[in-house]
Amino acid sequence: MASELRVNTLKDASGNNSIGMSYVAEGTAKAWMSLNGTGTIALRDSFNISGVVDNGTGSYTPSYSSNFGNANYSASGAGGSSNSNANVRLNTPAAGSQDLETRASNDGSQYDEAYTRFTATGDLA
Amino acid sequence: MASILKVDTITGVTTAGSIAVTGEGNSTTTNLQQGLAKCWVNFNGGGTAAIGDSLNAASITDQGTGNYKFTFTANMGNTDFCATGTAKETDSTGAVNNNGTGAMCHSHSASTVEFISFSPDGNTRDCTIAGLDIKGDLA
Repeated sequence: MASELRVNTLKDASGNNSIGMSYVAEGTAKAWMSLNGTGTIALRDSFNISGVVDNGTGSYTPSYSSNFGNANYSASGAGGSSNSNANVRLNTPAAGSQDLETRASNDGSQYDEAYTRFTATGDLA
Repeated sequence: MASILKVDTITGVTTAGSIAVTGEGNSTTTNLQQGLAKCWVNFNGGGTAAIGDSLNAASITDQGTGNYKFTFTANMGNTDFCATGTAKETDSTGAVNNNGTGAMCHSHSASTVEFISFSPDGNTRDCTIAGLDIKGDLA
């Protein structure tokens, strides 16, 4: 049976490690993904990602299943394996999606990255 | 009325590993377990690499210039986790490089992940300030 618990604070059974529910709700990541961005792109694993659009070489747009409440969330990304100096550049975010690019740091060129990672934390709508 | 729940473990009723938390907008819910970081590390990779603080990181191994391997205490369930990080590198003389930062994560397994820090020219460099964050499924 589904149940709902309403509390302001969580503590361990000893009464230590207190954390307010606001930290639980606001502090957990609201979306993340590990994407194979080569060939026909495919999500390896993800949370709250409804799909990813391949915009061309090294350019991707993941969309959220549940949108953020605004575009002021915190996002970060990282690449790895396809290039020895992989960078993920985040473009202007939207409440429902985030454009990002995988680029080589030494010359700025875009390339398809086999391990494109992205995570976002903020307020859901 | 303020309320406090004292427990050691929280488990979902319908699905043990799935607990919904109401989002900030009060209209949607988010999955608590999926949103939690399963590992994070603050470390200094200069000189003798050392972890400053961490969650679920058993050890750091310095594998060479700008190359670090972390071993998890509790393993991930697969290799499809999301690993992100950032770093501030030193230059070839060991001084802090103020020209930019770069970090990537690769060569991971369910029990380890490698972190590479590099300078804007693409060369690997030791980092003095770095953070690693991992989301995904625990075993």
